[in-house]
Amino acid sequence: MNMQTKPVTDPSAAATRASILTLTNLVKTFGTYMAVDGIDLAVADGEFLTIVGPSGCGKTTLLRMLAGLELPTSGEIALRGQVINDLPPNRRPTCLVFQSLALFPHRSVGENIAFPMKMKGIAPEKRRARVEELMALMRLPAHYVDRNVMRCSGGERQRVALARAFAYDPEILFFDEPLSALDYKLRKELEKELKDIHKETGKTFIYITHSLEEAMVMSDRIAVMRSGRMLQVGTPEEIYTRPQSRFVAEFMGEVNVFPVRRAGDGMFDGTRIPGRFQVAGDPAAEGFIIVRPEAMRLVAPGETVENRIEARLYNSYSLGSRMQFRLNVGEDHLIVEQLRAGGPMPDLDREVSIGWDSRDAIFVEA
Amino acid sequence: MSLSPEARAERRSARFIALWTGFVVLAIYTPILCGFVASVNKGRYFRFPLAKTSMEWWQKTFDSIEIGMLVRTSLAMAGLVTVIAVVIAFFGALAYARYDWKGRRLYQKLVLLPIFFPQPVLGLALLLWFNALGMQMSWQTAVFAHLVWIVPVVTLVMAIQMYSFDAALEEAAFDLGASRLQVLREVTLPILWPGIWSGALFAFLLSWGNFPLSLYTTGPDTSVPEWLYAKMVAGYTPMVPALGSMATIAAAAVLLGMGLLARALRKRPAQ
Repeated sequence: MNMQTKPVTDPSAAATRASILTLTNLVKTFGTYMAVDGIDLAVADGEFLTIVGPSGCGKTTLLRMLAGLELPTSGEIALRGQVINDLPPNRRPTCLVFQSLALFPHRSVGENIAFPMKMKGIAPEKRRARVEELMALMRLPAHYVDRNVMRCSGGERQRVALARAFAYDPEILFFDEPLSALDYKLRKELEKELKDIHKETGKTFIYITHSLEEAMVMSDRIAVMRSGRMLQVGTPEEIYTRPQSRFVAEFMGEVNVFPVRRAGDGMFDGTRIPGRFQVAGDPAAEGFIIVRPEAMRLVAPGETVENRIEARLYNSYSLGSRMQFRLNVGEDHLIVEQLRAGGPMPDLDREVSIGWDSRDAIFVEA
Repeated sequence: MSLSPEARAERRSARFIALWTGFVVLAIYTPILCGFVASVNKGRYFRFPLAKTSMEWWQKTFDSIEIGMLVRTSLAMAGLVTVIAVVIAFFGALAYARYDWKGRRLYQKLVLLPIFFPQPVLGLALLLWFNALGMQMSWQTAVFAHLVWIVPVVTLVMAIQMYSFDAALEEAAFDLGASRLQVLREVTLPILWPGIWSGALFAFLLSWGNFPLSLYTTGPDTSVPEWLYAKMVAGYTPMVPALGSMATIAAAAVLLGMGLLARALRKRPAQ
């Protein structure tokens, strides 16, 4: 019943730890619609894994299968080696925090949190003690115990939902975008709080969101999903710096992507944006070069750079500590971000040169 | 007086609301009050102003064996109709508010159609049908007739609340270790309770007060509205308004009692 506080391990070691949950060729179809299209995944014990993807990519269906609310069409879900495909949710040692939170509106904060313990038949005194303990863990004021849950603020409800999930004492917690309805500031705060709670409890968290930004803050590993498939699974660092496809790169935020073809000398010719470019690694003959806006910079006319594009400065946007520029090249446009320099701003609607180092560019196959 | 224009406008609208509320209350309760006045008339026929008042007719109504039987018949009908209608309507409303199935919209329309059918015609149609089946008319056949008309109404009343019920609540309870039965008892029923309660109230009152369907289908049994109508057509006595007033007072008492009970339950300490 007690929260085990495991020693906190290095997140990068997560993948090498024993896996608690293993998915093998998991498929879910609705009629002819392929919601989840053959997923293989191993989740390590104590890991914080975030599954990201655009809406309709099948991530919610995947999570519902893991929680037992949907039956897989084929494939296997194994918990510590035991296949649990047909185990109903009330007998799985997992708990889902719903997007709507699904707090019981006719119950007080305390009754909501005590609910799973009441279902298990735990004595009222023991329940009360545990509710107090969980409320303290979730930083909920003790006098909230008798408050109607509908009279709590958005952030407080989040904490009640989380406390209720922990009261079930699950081995794995699932989260279905529970923070999506909150305003930006509170969301940022709760993201960090959730990561802290993960650290304190040592439980396995599987979180789904459509926001990679949210995933970056919290996760040990990120899995990117699209059209029912896993595109890439890796640490936030890997996903950010070494995306394996154009989709993953673009999903991470604003990036410059342009198609290229290999020329005879190992250099690449831009097929839409004129120029000759270099890229590290062992690229294929045809694909896209991806450069993050912060890796590009405006260069002086005489300066030599490894890669260069001539463009017209269309507009500039202030991002606080940084400046963003939009540049037009033919019908395409590029985005460049720089730290706000003290000097004069470049004039708009003038021809400028932008450049970047080859090691900052990523090549992905078409 | 040095009131600002806004404060004056506010006062004006407050006064208007009070006036309007008063008017509506008056319009609704004057006829009921008239019935009460008629029932305490000492003479047999109602004249205004009353020459003399007495509770004589109330006493007679109370003591009448015939009226006791009428009330028991009507209560039995209304009670049975309420129980059956609530069960059918609960599952029916659940089926079309919560699940998406083929023919759902058609069912929704089919179920509502009898409401728009004129009740005397429906009563006659049911009588013909019962006859064709060779059934003896009694208050039980009238219960069936009432159900035909009342189930749709109750389904509608219950569905309104069920549409706003978040099915994720049940899933959450199930996920948190509750069995199917526990989900129903701990989550579904408590949340839907107000809708079930108002549906039951509707069922009871619509059956209790129904005249056109009962007229055709009770056979030798007589319900309260049938008796009231018959006595008004021929053989009027002040027992008619006396019984009406009693029913109104009884209904008010029941509602008040239920309200107090609900309040007491809500104030029960948590956990």
